[in-house]
Amino acid sequence: MASIHRSGSRPQLDLSKAAIEGNFEEKDPTILLPNQSDDLSHLALDIGGSLIKLVYFSRHEGQSIDDKRKKTLKERLGISNGTRRSYPILGGRLHFVKFETTKINECLDFIYSKQLHRGGMDSRLWNAEAPANENAVIKATGGGAFKFTDLFKERLGVSLDKEDEMNCLVAGANFLLKAIRHEAFTHIEGQKEFVQIDHNDLFPYLLVNIGSGVSMIKVDGDGKFQRVSGTNVGGGTYWGLGRLLTKCKSFDELLELSQRGDNRTIDMLVGDIYGGMDYSKIGLSASTIASSFGKAISDTKELEDYSPEDISLSLLRMISYNIGQIAYLNALRFGLKRIFFGGFFIRGHAYTMDTISFAVHFWSKGDAQAMFLRHEGFLGALGAFMSYEKHGLDDLMVHQLVERFPMGAPYTGGKIHGPPLGDLNEKISWMEKFVLKGTEITAPVPMAPPPGTTGLGGFEVPSSKGGTLRSDASALNVGVLHLVPTLEVFPLLADPKTYEPNTIDLADHNELEYWFTVLSGHLPDLVDKAVASEGGTDDAKRRGDAFARAFSAHLARLIEDPAAYGKLGLANLLELREECLREFQFHDAYRSIKQRENEASLAVLADLFAELDSMSEETRLLTLIEGVLAANIFDWGSRACVDLYHKGTIIEIYRMSRNKMQRPWRVDDFDLFKDRMLGSGDKKPQPHKRALLFVDNSGADVVLGMLPLARELLRRGTEVVLVANSLPALNDVTAMELPDIVAEAAKHCDILRRAAEAGSLLVDAMINRSDSSKENSSSVPLMVVENGCGSPCIDLRQVSSELAAAAKDADLLVITNINLRQMERMHVTVTRAFDDDVQIILEGMGRALHTNYNARFKCDALKLAMVKNQRLAEKLIKGSIYDCVCRYEPAS
Amino acid sequence: MDVRDAGFHGKLDADQSESQISHLALDIGGTLIKLVYFSRNKDRPIDENKNSKNSVIEGRLHFAKFETSKINDCLEFILSNKLHLGGFRHHKDPASDKILIKATGGGAYRFADLIKEKLGVSIEKEEEMECLVAGANFLLKAVHQEAYTYMDGRKEFVHIDHNDLYPYLLVNIGSGVSMIKVDGDGKFERISGTSVGGGTFWGLGRLLTKCKSFDELLELSHQGNNRVIDMLVGDIYGGLDYSKIGLSSTTIASSFGKAISDNRELEEYKPEDIARSLLRMISNNIGQIAYLNALRFGLKRIFFGGFFIRSHAFTMDTISVAVNFWSKGEAKAMFLHHEGFLGALGAFMSYEKHSRDDSTSPQLGQRYPVCTPLVGDKICYPLNGDLNDNDSLECSVYVA
Repeated sequence: MASIHRSGSRPQLDLSKAAIEGNFEEKDPTILLPNQSDDLSHLALDIGGSLIKLVYFSRHEGQSIDDKRKKTLKERLGISNGTRRSYPILGGRLHFVKFETTKINECLDFIYSKQLHRGGMDSRLWNAEAPANENAVIKATGGGAFKFTDLFKERLGVSLDKEDEMNCLVAGANFLLKAIRHEAFTHIEGQKEFVQIDHNDLFPYLLVNIGSGVSMIKVDGDGKFQRVSGTNVGGGTYWGLGRLLTKCKSFDELLELSQRGDNRTIDMLVGDIYGGMDYSKIGLSASTIASSFGKAISDTKELEDYSPEDISLSLLRMISYNIGQIAYLNALRFGLKRIFFGGFFIRGHAYTMDTISFAVHFWSKGDAQAMFLRHEGFLGALGAFMSYEKHGLDDLMVHQLVERFPMGAPYTGGKIHGPPLGDLNEKISWMEKFVLKGTEITAPVPMAPPPGTTGLGGFEVPSSKGGTLRSDASALNVGVLHLVPTLEVFPLLADPKTYEPNTIDLADHNELEYWFTVLSGHLPDLVDKAVASEGGTDDAKRRGDAFARAFSAHLARLIEDPAAYGKLGLANLLELREECLREFQFHDAYRSIKQRENEASLAVLADLFAELDSMSEETRLLTLIEGVLAANIFDWGSRACVDLYHKGTIIEIYRMSRNKMQRPWRVDDFDLFKDRMLGSGDKKPQPHKRALLFVDNSGADVVLGMLPLARELLRRGTEVVLVANSLPALNDVTAMELPDIVAEAAKHCDILRRAAEAGSLLVDAMINRSDSSKENSSSVPLMVVENGCGSPCIDLRQVSSELAAAAKDADLLVITNINLRQMERMHVTVTRAFDDDVQIILEGMGRALHTNYNARFKCDALKLAMVKNQRLAEKLIKGSIYDCVCRYEPAS
Repeated sequence: MDVRDAGFHGKLDADQSESQISHLALDIGGTLIKLVYFSRNKDRPIDENKNSKNSVIEGRLHFAKFETSKINDCLEFILSNKLHLGGFRHHKDPASDKILIKATGGGAYRFADLIKEKLGVSIEKEEEMECLVAGANFLLKAVHQEAYTYMDGRKEFVHIDHNDLYPYLLVNIGSGVSMIKVDGDGKFERISGTSVGGGTFWGLGRLLTKCKSFDELLELSHQGNNRVIDMLVGDIYGGLDYSKIGLSSTTIASSFGKAISDNRELEEYKPEDIARSLLRMISNNIGQIAYLNALRFGLKRIFFGGFFIRSHAFTMDTISVAVNFWSKGEAKAMFLHHEGFLGALGAFMSYEKHSRDDSTSPQLGQRYPVCTPLVGDKICYPLNGDLNDNDSLECSVYVA
């Protein structure tokens, strides 16, 4: 699909020519700026009685992978634009921000400062001096859309286009439930569990939106709903009464108070009435609240004599419980089993959710289930956003949305969370200060964190934590939704429904803590690397410090509530780190390390090719497989490896490792693979048409392991597609870097050169080659595609359209360690490699070895892995270090 | 209780027949203690004209109440009126001096020792829900013009057909709220309830207004204007209705919702307005939950009892409006004159259970339906335990 290409060399589009420019290269308008009204489909508002919720859209920064190469690739792979949609949708991000309604001026300032009412700063087509478009329209819902119409007109010069509130709530909820994987969850006794929503079995459900008041809506389908009930005892009641009773300054402060409260001092319990006994005959335990605030009667205590904490908790229980009960009764009325609770009252507050869940469970005797939504507060705003006609999001699929958790959505109760910034313009999130594209990045100097907050590298638990009474004071539970319309499910996945890349569920708290220890221990080192990769400037140091804080804050949040950002797997955790790095403009912390490793490996490649070419076909094939396995021994950054590179003995180590591979391997399908490749007896098998090689590490792994294998396949007449990460992550080689590596390797090898030319990989590297030489080459092509992913782990439910297209003709997959691990249910652990350098080595093998071949592909698949961890080897496969797995699975 | 079945068994005990006061029963709730006791009419002889085996004692049922926190006042009252002698002796051990008094409510458990110590009588605990139901059934069948509807300030008595009484929903609003589906005498099920009840009104009200009593608070609410504090649909929609979903601009969108956005502190709100908001919030909530439960079981009639209501016009109005609104006129809220004494009456009725074994227990029946004398539009029961202000019900008791 179309995506935005904004390479630095291309001039910025100008508004009037937007459509033409967009058509220039791709026969398809890739940038949706044909007119002003489309521009405005960037912001939608939900102005409630207490809070204003904003959803706004910003376009992705252009990822300028060589346009020409892409274009050729697209032609080769037969990707035609615009086949699936009548108009393209933009890749970008959905942001979620909230303000208190009483502070509507801050909200207006925020909108103004980001120029959201004119299409956002991202467009950069907007001219600050240009007169405001008098016809500009913003979609808005909630009562405030009526109340503040004039104010918006006056301050921003825009009209509010009012959307029906219930309509928006339902549209927002339906969108979230369908489009986001881990949106809904249950919350019982402090345990959060995500609910897999079957899109075909979503309706009917009861949507309970708890704002100032409460609306209960029976939803039967898209746009099919009925408001069946509601109650005036809602979030406004909690806050309003709470303010009067406790003098709290904000909703969050009140919620925070409740965490330390004990409602027994103020509620009349069954035990109080029954002298400590249960009223078991009707199923009431002594601790059941008989009468909320009932003790405030008989005591002689005055308001001042009660602790605000107790009052807040009592109030919270009363209101949550009441809402749960009324919701259940309404669900019962219509035979609805599922009740989704949304609205800003909940705000991820554990106790609130527990109380509501308890009420629903208690009254339904377990028949009905209370579920919550992570984007609970933004249903209406999202719905209003959806009501723009041309956003094209209606048919968005789950796999096209990637949720990221930078320090976005920084507003809670009008305050910015994150490191304090002094007098910076408070209307713009402090994070964005880094991203501002001025002449230079103006990274603010972080001040010393106030006591009790997370410092660098540590993850002190926020002092507010108390038992199950966790609150989400940090407001970090809502991430920015990245819309990548070009993502698809990997078409060769035999059973996408059962596929789960996130096999390391960090629900096991030991595992979780272990990882947190490792990651935070590794943090200073990573910061050093990152800062060095940016030249070690003062600016880089400041950003490095800020990154450390941001990432530590995330870790602290996660150790408190592992499911805060959705189901947490190791892959998510690692991706989060990469995202954080990118957010602070560290685009490739491992750049120099990767370069060094690549150079060292490329230096010895010619020798390796010569050695391989001297072998018989059968020996060569075995050697190649051994080579892929052996190359895995080289792990990035470890001191031992670095020494090896420096001493120029890489080929020796490689050969030594290769020689360790005593067959039979722990899993050994080599003969089966060999038969498929070389045939048995006289039968000469047909070569594979196209092979996809999933590459991971830079250096020896790709150069000495995968490239020789690719070369062999090419030699046999099989097209080869190298699949690599779209964005840098750890020392993984990226799709951007591969053409250069291939070009360098091609200098030593004619096979690679011709194939690379055929695959247009050398257009940049060998720009002077004439077209005639292309025609002379009869080689099958060697191509490079990006996998659409920027994390150490690939999720095959979300791959680039390029990869999906390339996969259509593929009949062989070669997958190694890291990618393999993610495809299969494998255990991951950490080891300290070779010496005391703190390193993380992701191990591809684990207990899942017994079951890991459940993930089947529609084509032949060769899975190669080496166990590099002694403990794991012994424990999990009863083998030893360097045990190898070579699994070959013919197409089923 | 069916009057016609109010059988007479055994013969009248001489001592007992001479007591002026007999049969005290208590309902000791979280907030209030309710007393029901019977006194004989001195000026009328025992009527034995119809059936030589039946003795009918004409007399009065008295109703009194105290705050639970002032239980000592209550015990003093009982002692000074010798009400505690109107219990019964244990049927298994008639010879013993031990007098048992029927009591229900949580306090029957909590204060058993105190009562034993102060009055020298033991408490025979009766199950709370059973008592509520027995009390309600008795009132609905035996007392003419017991039930009424209240809408827009208009009170209308409801004629209850004894043969078409069941099933109904009984909502007893005490400190908390119990909702009981009643299918017949002794046939019932507690199907729901809520902790947001009379105790909440009074408790929150005390904290917010410094009122000294429930009645003072209720009185305040009469003069208040909830719009000052509640967030109305009109406040959110800039004065407009949200007519699409049937909400008028005066509908409360969020109780106490305005207390958020204002910069006003507690002291700057009038206690009257607070009381009004609170009352509407709680009454409306109870009405809604009651309706939803009635709907669940297809019950058309909902009777509201319990001391929260105390015939307060605005309370009843709000509850009625809530039931009417949510049921779209299908269900009706009805109120009981003796709303606060259901449990105590039920406990009183339970003396009957012992009649077969213990000849000292009378059967209570109402011979001539009598209008309750003190029911007006404005009954404000002071909580000072003053007997004069309490209700009484003229009735006859068939005694054994």
